[in-house]
Amino acid sequence: MPRRELLLEDADTRDLTKLAGYEAIGGYASLRKALDMERQAVLAELLDANVRGRGGAGFPMGRKASFLPHPDDTPKPIYLVANADESEPGTFKDREILLRVPHLFVEGVVIAAYTIGSGHAFIYLRGEYLAEFEVVTAALEEARAAGYLGKNVLGSGWDLTVVVHRGAGAYICGEETGLLESLEGRRGQPRTKPPFPAISGLYASPTLINNVETLATVPKILELGGKKYARIGVENSAGTRVFSLSGNVVNGGNYELELGTTLRELIDEIGGGIPDGRELKAIIPGGSSVPVLTAAEVDTPLDFDSMAQAGTMLGSGAVIVIDDRCCMVQLGLRVAQFYMHESCGKCTPCREGTRWMVQLLRKIEEGEATQGELDVLLNVCDRILGNCLCPLGDAAAMPVASYVAKFRDEFQRHIDEGACPFGGESSLAGVLAPVDQHDAHLRSQIEVPGIRAERESLTEAHG
Amino acid sequence: MVRVTIDGQEVLAPKGQGLVETAASVGIEIPVFCYEPRLGPPVGACRMCLCEVEGLPKLQAACTLTATDGLVLRTARTSEQAAGGQSAILEFILLNHPLDCPDCDKGGECPLQDLTFRFGPGSTRMQFPKRTFDKPIPISPLIALDRERCILCYRCTRFSESVSEDGQLVAANRGAQSIIATFEDEPYRAHFSGNVLELCPVGALTSTTYRFRARPWEIQNVPTVCGLCPVGCNVWATTREGKVARILSRNHPEVHEGWLCDKGRFAYDHLRAEDRLRTPLVRVRRRGFEEASHEAALDAAEAGLRAAGSSVVVAFSGGETVEQATALARIVREGLGSDAALLPDDWDAALDAFRAPLSAIRDADVCLILGDDPVVERAPVVDLWLRAARRAEAEVIAVNPAGDVQAAPGSAAQVCADLREGKKVPTELRETAKSLKSAKRVALVWSEDDPTGGRHVGALANELHENGRAEVAVYVLPRTPNGRGVATAWYTVGEGRSDPPGEGEIGALVVSGDEAASDPRVADLAARASFVLTTAMFQSELTAWSHVVLPGTSYLEREGTYVNLEGRPQRLRRAVVPFGPDELEWLAQLAERFGVAIDPWAAPTAAEQADLPPADEFAWSRPDPQAPPGKPAGPGLELVRIGALFSGAAVERIPQLQFQRPAAEVELAHEDASTRGIAPGEAVVVTSNGTSRELRAGLNRKLRVGVVRIPAEHAKDFGDRVQVSRLSTGESR
Repeated sequence: MPRRELLLEDADTRDLTKLAGYEAIGGYASLRKALDMERQAVLAELLDANVRGRGGAGFPMGRKASFLPHPDDTPKPIYLVANADESEPGTFKDREILLRVPHLFVEGVVIAAYTIGSGHAFIYLRGEYLAEFEVVTAALEEARAAGYLGKNVLGSGWDLTVVVHRGAGAYICGEETGLLESLEGRRGQPRTKPPFPAISGLYASPTLINNVETLATVPKILELGGKKYARIGVENSAGTRVFSLSGNVVNGGNYELELGTTLRELIDEIGGGIPDGRELKAIIPGGSSVPVLTAAEVDTPLDFDSMAQAGTMLGSGAVIVIDDRCCMVQLGLRVAQFYMHESCGKCTPCREGTRWMVQLLRKIEEGEATQGELDVLLNVCDRILGNCLCPLGDAAAMPVASYVAKFRDEFQRHIDEGACPFGGESSLAGVLAPVDQHDAHLRSQIEVPGIRAERESLTEAHG
Repeated sequence: MVRVTIDGQEVLAPKGQGLVETAASVGIEIPVFCYEPRLGPPVGACRMCLCEVEGLPKLQAACTLTATDGLVLRTARTSEQAAGGQSAILEFILLNHPLDCPDCDKGGECPLQDLTFRFGPGSTRMQFPKRTFDKPIPISPLIALDRERCILCYRCTRFSESVSEDGQLVAANRGAQSIIATFEDEPYRAHFSGNVLELCPVGALTSTTYRFRARPWEIQNVPTVCGLCPVGCNVWATTREGKVARILSRNHPEVHEGWLCDKGRFAYDHLRAEDRLRTPLVRVRRRGFEEASHEAALDAAEAGLRAAGSSVVVAFSGGETVEQATALARIVREGLGSDAALLPDDWDAALDAFRAPLSAIRDADVCLILGDDPVVERAPVVDLWLRAARRAEAEVIAVNPAGDVQAAPGSAAQVCADLREGKKVPTELRETAKSLKSAKRVALVWSEDDPTGGRHVGALANELHENGRAEVAVYVLPRTPNGRGVATAWYTVGEGRSDPPGEGEIGALVVSGDEAASDPRVADLAARASFVLTTAMFQSELTAWSHVVLPGTSYLEREGTYVNLEGRPQRLRRAVVPFGPDELEWLAQLAERFGVAIDPWAAPTAAEQADLPPADEFAWSRPDPQAPPGKPAGPGLELVRIGALFSGAAVERIPQLQFQRPAAEVELAHEDASTRGIAPGEAVVVTSNGTSRELRAGLNRKLRVGVVRIPAEHAKDFGDRVQVSRLSTGESR
């Protein structure tokens, strides 16, 4: 399938971070077009485009927007929230969009807000994204000065305020209800659903929450027209996605591809294959939370349905390539440690289960585990799955269960040999796990220049 | 009504009812830990209630679901999937729980223990060291926290956040390291902190006053009513070996919804205070007090009263039971022929037209709070009802020196008159008048002493009902626990009441109880009385003035009836036996000597169960009350005394409650502090009536300019106006 760039079109050849550059390629034309249309007509285009959410769950964006009440039917304000708390391991596509085509994203925010009749949009930005924060705020200021947002947007009589809120470093705040809690100034923990945010979201008001990439797609949909957009990609997976390619691959990076491109095309043709003449062993196709694919499944197309058929998910579009040096038990331990560290602690199975998983995996990796404990591990995964308040618990249990299912012999060898068969030669050996990274960071007081300046100004401001 | 199927059984349930309740209505238990409807919307945190819902692939937290037509629910009894989920959750909950049931205070009355025995695994698959924390952590002198036992159901933090709204209990850290903590590690100092002890479904929060004192199988729980404030919360008095060991709440949904204040929960041990009066005392000329037999004390009392003729004054405490007050009133009226009495609370019967249960506050559109006393100090649980009303989107307007409308001290009667007037409403009350006018349901709360027995607020209620067509509920907060009952008893026995003579000698003064004994008006009368007969639990300045002192009893030691602020008669039951005869018994014996026959046994009637009549009969026939003139202005700042909840004879005798007592602080308006150059927290000198005292300055941005507030116990001997100044630098160094 040919490469097709929509969102990142021209981003390699021009500077699109400035308004002038973006306008030169026809930027904000979609917004003008939208403002000339009825809200319902814009929504119809989104429904026609059948664009599915790019954050991970893949819920159709147009349908989600259609769940919100009409502004005349509710006494409450309607909010739009852009989820820019990108933190799924392996995922770095939103930062690419924010850094290189910030105006496209801003335009998407404004159009989406107009579509649902919202006067207030919030951008919840991952706290560690300092450069992205600066680029996006600069773009917002330019757009505001040019009348694309703020009071009386392009003379339409409609007002829109956009607020950028920076997170404080919690993966769970990327979960939509945890994000809303955090945005309201509370402890970032998910809420029970229903009620869904479309009915009772931010400040108990109707709220549409969309991922950065989803929102950045909106201007393109209006530009092409919903029906035409729907023809890009394959059935049930319309459009393009920005895939974050990482791991044991020659040319890691973000690549925008039409949905339906196979993993092999992405890894071998675009990514340049596996370095150092190693063998492909496994692929994580959609961020660390999805079940793994083996080398034999490398011809699976990157679209929602094909991935589901293969027993995994397209997730956040983060493709992690794993070569034959990697110990799958270590990988499982790393993944489980991440989710244990990021578990919010609200619901029992996730809080207790992820910690137990880490304990069991560590014991297996150290060669101390009994046969029974491998069964316990699988059973713990099974007992977490589907029993949690939000998807975080599943995100830990699903991949680990899949590593055992697809690489059981490797786990078995750890038990039989009483030691890790990779004997310290694993590609993960010596790489700090997130929990330990966190502790090491606290111990060493690593100073990142921008962060330090910011910390100092904060200290001054608060005395 | 909707039709729900639970475990194959069809149930008719009100639409929107929680499924835990729906299942319970047909005898099916859905086990829960975090679910507690009194804490607000369900959170679905513990996952213990996982059930299968037809049409949904995943198990659902039943506590977060409500009854909808056609819903088919399968609990662990009939669904293998649900049983699997439930057993998984219990295993996870117990994973790091210490299982120290043999030495845990909750053992035997622990929901986690009960559910584990019924649904849990018999052994553990956990082979790793359990998570440990430092323990127990004293989060206040009253509460110990064991973080290892905690299962993070967040009931305590939800109580703190959305019931008492003190915001002091929080969750810190995250994931497996999540802990319950107090905000900034400050002690949990709040009026209602003890409720978290009962909310905790495990032994993580235990009370320092009950820890290691008793086991569930060696205690008896006596159902009675708290006698420390006019709310009359229903309680269980837990007794062990004839002593009260703790107080638990007994949920009366109309009165207190199961919440108790810390005074009601923790002050019980004053029963066993060292300095309690145990034997009658009789004053003997030149030798001071001598212990006397009961008979000898009654002889002395009879002699003293006979010598006084009809020149007798009786001072009530408001803590007497209705039966006790009736007996004393009959002795004074029928036996001695006097009608001079000091009543702590007066009561206008016409207010009965606006009687409503306290829970009606939550349903009001507008709640108006009048009077200088903070509601939480006078009748604590009423404050929780007002907060509940505000959460239910009612408009709650406090009109007092530190309220939403900053009225002058002592102006509540005038405010009622102004709001009644309707036309020339003063500017600051205009918004309030508008809100009242448009309200359909109004709750009026009067929170200060009112010699007219609530007639001012009653007249306002009448106006709102007659002309505004609103449903009105009036809550006049008495100063004392049974002030309403005592006043009713006094007027039931005879006609009218005369005030004690303003000057001159008095034949005899009968002081009934410790609160009367600490009343300055009573001290003044005692100085003029030839004979003083006092009943009290503790020695005081006044017992020293007395001629005969009879040991008093506590509300936990008596049978009888209390009438709470709603006018609801409630039965007190004797939790523990006092060491001597109680008041009713010796009053009966004394009465006999004056030819009055009194039954020494309280016989509470079925009135305890009486329904509250709907407020549909309005008989406001008395002339409208005249608002008293405002106090004259003068130099300095106007003083408002706060009668703090955590004060009085009982609280003073509980070491663990001392941290709750009011600080030696003077509250100043921001402007008054800045003109005097006073910074918050600074030591200042407060002077009035020739008395000077050093207090700490507290700033209150809501306080009316020209007014200061000082807890009553730190404002002794002050007049109505005070001078506040900084400590001069020389003194403070």
